[in-house]
Amino acid sequence: MAAQHRIEQISTHLTIRPGTMFGSPVGQKSGEDIVVVSALRTAITRAKKGGFKDTLPEELLYHVLKATLDKTGIDPAIVEDIQVGNVLPEMGGAKAARMAQLHAGFPVTSSIATTNRQCASGLQAVAGIASAIKSGIIEVGIGAGVESMTHGYGPTGTVLSTESELLCQTPEAKDCLLPMGITSENVAQKFNVTREAQDRWAAQSQSRAAAAQKGGLFDKEIIPVTTTIIDPTTKEKRSITVTKDDGVRENTTVQVLGKLKPSFKPTGSTTAGNASQVSDGAAAVLLMKRSKAQALNLPIMGKLVSFATVGVPPNVMGIGPAYAIPVALQRAGITKDQVDVFEINEAFASQLVYSVEYLGLNHDKVNPKGGAIALGHPLGCTGARLVATLLTELERRKQKIGVVSMCMGTGMGAAAVFESE
Amino acid sequence: MAAVMRYRTAGYNGYSIEYSPFFENRIACASAANFGIVGNGRLWVLGLGAGPEGIDVEKVYDTQDGLFDCAWSEVHENQIVTSSGDGSIKLWDVTLPDFPVRNWSEHTREVFAVKWNLVKKDTFISGSWDQTIKLWNPEVPQSLTTWQEHTHCIYQTAWSPTSGDIFASASGDHTLKVWDVRQPRSVQTVRAHNAEILALDWNKYHPNTLVTGSVDHSVKVWDLRFPDREAMVLLGHDYAVRRVKCSPHSGNIIASASYDMTMRIWDTAMGGNRLAHVHDQHTEFVLGVDMSMFFEGQVATCAWDEQINVIQIPGLSMKH
Repeated sequence: MAAQHRIEQISTHLTIRPGTMFGSPVGQKSGEDIVVVSALRTAITRAKKGGFKDTLPEELLYHVLKATLDKTGIDPAIVEDIQVGNVLPEMGGAKAARMAQLHAGFPVTSSIATTNRQCASGLQAVAGIASAIKSGIIEVGIGAGVESMTHGYGPTGTVLSTESELLCQTPEAKDCLLPMGITSENVAQKFNVTREAQDRWAAQSQSRAAAAQKGGLFDKEIIPVTTTIIDPTTKEKRSITVTKDDGVRENTTVQVLGKLKPSFKPTGSTTAGNASQVSDGAAAVLLMKRSKAQALNLPIMGKLVSFATVGVPPNVMGIGPAYAIPVALQRAGITKDQVDVFEINEAFASQLVYSVEYLGLNHDKVNPKGGAIALGHPLGCTGARLVATLLTELERRKQKIGVVSMCMGTGMGAAAVFESE
Repeated sequence: MAAVMRYRTAGYNGYSIEYSPFFENRIACASAANFGIVGNGRLWVLGLGAGPEGIDVEKVYDTQDGLFDCAWSEVHENQIVTSSGDGSIKLWDVTLPDFPVRNWSEHTREVFAVKWNLVKKDTFISGSWDQTIKLWNPEVPQSLTTWQEHTHCIYQTAWSPTSGDIFASASGDHTLKVWDVRQPRSVQTVRAHNAEILALDWNKYHPNTLVTGSVDHSVKVWDLRFPDREAMVLLGHDYAVRRVKCSPHSGNIIASASYDMTMRIWDTAMGGNRLAHVHDQHTEFVLGVDMSMFFEGQVATCAWDEQINVIQIPGLSMKH
């Protein structure tokens, strides 16, 4: 007996993994933590209609990178690398991103890369920079995200021009070609998410976003962007300053939403009203080790605790958060009940409602300032945008633990745990 | 530089090694057969500067169960106390053969820590996997006090170097606790790691500074006046840290022994990762380390590879 107990006891010394992936565990601080010093975004505006309809994506990126330098007052030369999540731009956005970086005032000695993990690209950029800092490749970096769905969205941006017969022999591979709306219908059908439940969530997203906007709850995360817009009737160019998300419909109700026709199949339940909006926007998150932030006397918004990506079947891609969030929580060593705020991307109300119900989350904690149904979903931007929205809200509430999560086309989920301070 | 002095504790795996506070060339090693999982224990009393490899045996004492810690008496130059897997604590006189001069059997599980009072010198404490800490006087047949507050195994204890009433304990419940022998409850609790804490020592020069070592691979330096956050994290061990010792000669030198088979010397006054030396000549878990108070920079280690190594750390000056 004693021998067995001793073996078990001593084996725990060797099997328990220390801390968390990026530094000290929740509730503790260490100089080795990867912390967020700044998380800012542009307003999100409607594609082809909103304030950024005549602004190029790299210009949006320039504005948010420049604002990060201006607001923090850091020496641009300490930023050794930037990763930018983007999905649609030509050539992967690499050339345009480098131009944005240099125009923003970063020296030629700093570097930049773009990354495409579909709708998680912005969060992937944050996690990629955090990993680079953790592994000692860099000391300071920016994880950003940008998308102008005014530019590049539509058939050429969302459908492959080639279809490999060889790869399509595997049904799951062929399912990657399904339009996103159809995957939303699949989720609703397979998991019995009613039209009413979807419209209820959509109406709630709108009313929460409207209330947050009125209360000034986005003011800390949004940077004003002065840009040029072409008047659609007079064709005249004029200068405007964009400070507010323009997709929010304050007076939407479940009844109004219930009258909308399904967008993807006649008998379906996904409509323009309960799906994310097509939008333009950019966001940037400045990351470094806590010891570096302290040495530079910079404020610390919070730390990154864990990150996870998982795969799910491509034909129900929207369920990604249901599977990614538990992995991120487990890696953070916490339970869902310890989380104060979840920011989960509302690609479609169907997948959002399913994920929330599957995980048994308290609705009050999920997207308290509204989500992409009201605010919009500029694909590559979203992940970084959610980090800015989460950390400002945790700070306002004087709460601690937050989760950012989203689904991805072709069947994946990503999630990250942050701790505010 | 002197070569490594070695001794093979044949058939026994080292758990703890302690320099005598009275004789500069005497060390003791608490050991256990079969890696301490099952079987006998043996206390080795060894002389430095003798034997073919620099260390020779002076006395051995065998016990029924494995020995996990030992502490030399601070008053009797020939007495040493050991703690055992069967919960027993034994006092030995190395001038006498074979049997302990006293035996206490109160703990109900393995006793991983025994530490002699450095200031009052008339008492010692023990910390056990039964979650209790006991205070003992070698002349008294029962423990003087028992404290039960930790909620997991107690792995290590340490006396304050400046107060004969204050000691600290480290536990698998992730906390470090500070105690006053006159108080029935702990006087301070520090949630020091997010994992089991296996190692603990009190800085000999800074009365508010303690050092912990944990399953989370880290060594942390604590200032009890600012318990919300560690004063320093020393990273480098690849596995759990099993023992830490603060230098008797310098307030900024720390030794740590780990399951990663190394013993490391840290200099908290250094920049960078503060790692001053790595001793990597053991081939199994290193569980014991101690620093000579007579020869600055001389360090003894014991390990599950049945080897005792005594080395001179380069860069730490040799004084007599």
